[in-house]
Amino acid sequence: MAASKVKQDMPPPGGYGPVDYRRNLPRRGLSGYSMFAVGIGVMMFGYWRLCRWNRERRRMQIEDLEARIALLPLLQAEHDRQMLRMLRENLEEEATLMKDVPGWKVGENVFHTERWVSPLPEQLYNLRPREELIQKKFGFQWYV
Amino acid sequence: MPDVVEIPTLEELNVKEVNVSSAVLKAAAHHFGSQCDKPSKEFMLCRWEEKDPRKCLEEGRKVNDCAFNFFRQIKGNCAESFTEYWTCLDYSNMAELRRCRKQQHEFDNCVLDKLGWKRPELGELSKVTKVQTARPLPENPYHSRPRPEPNTPIEAELQPAKHGSRLFFWNW
Repeated sequence: MAASKVKQDMPPPGGYGPVDYRRNLPRRGLSGYSMFAVGIGVMMFGYWRLCRWNRERRRMQIEDLEARIALLPLLQAEHDRQMLRMLRENLEEEATLMKDVPGWKVGENVFHTERWVSPLPEQLYNLRPREELIQKKFGFQWYV
Repeated sequence: MPDVVEIPTLEELNVKEVNVSSAVLKAAAHHFGSQCDKPSKEFMLCRWEEKDPRKCLEEGRKVNDCAFNFFRQIKGNCAESFTEYWTCLDYSNMAELRRCRKQQHEFDNCVLDKLGWKRPELGELSKVTKVQTARPLPENPYHSRPRPEPNTPIEAELQPAKHGSRLFFWNW
């Protein structure tokens, strides 16, 4: 057999150092309770921020509603005038269309009462093209 | 019995309309609410008491006049900052007022300096107000018929119900 003069892969002189073979399962990190606490704390913080933002949004909504309240008289007056204008035009059309019909009272009240009855869209848009009535009744469905 | 529904003529309905788009109206809304408060409240009171649009055309005309003066004053004094403000509002989605706070402050300062108008605080326009009018309160705005007098005397002789009470099974 060859003597120890052959070059071989041998361990270092003095042997290898100690090998750590024990189980390494360190006890670290938060406990269960504190993990819950952190989670609940984060949630509480989130709720607090959400609450504050919702209050801010409520204030903004009040602002928008107040803008609407301020503008209502203008818009209502204009709407009234528009409605009365359409009724007047319909009345005049009716007078010209039915002038040869015997016993027809133009602009006759269809109710037995004196009070003002709001006209239906069919009544207002009767003598106009059908698309206008459809737009008036269902136009809101196509509003983008 | 009533014959004809009276509708005002086209000349009576001919009023100078404020020809202005929605962003402009929303931009000026708060100041309009505090400046043109009196005619607006009178019109709304008239409308809601009389329940008849034909009776409130005069008040409506006053509201329009007030609005005209209002916009004329803004145009005369603070036109550029107002234009900036409403174009910013028009550009934003849903005309959100919070997107245009900078322009709003500019416009408010300009109006405060030149015209002395203060922007109403949050909640001031939603307060309930008492309105002073010269118009008398309409009696019977619903044109209801007179009510029958209560407890009319029963003339016939009262008999007990035939076949027992009809409310036998429904007595809760």
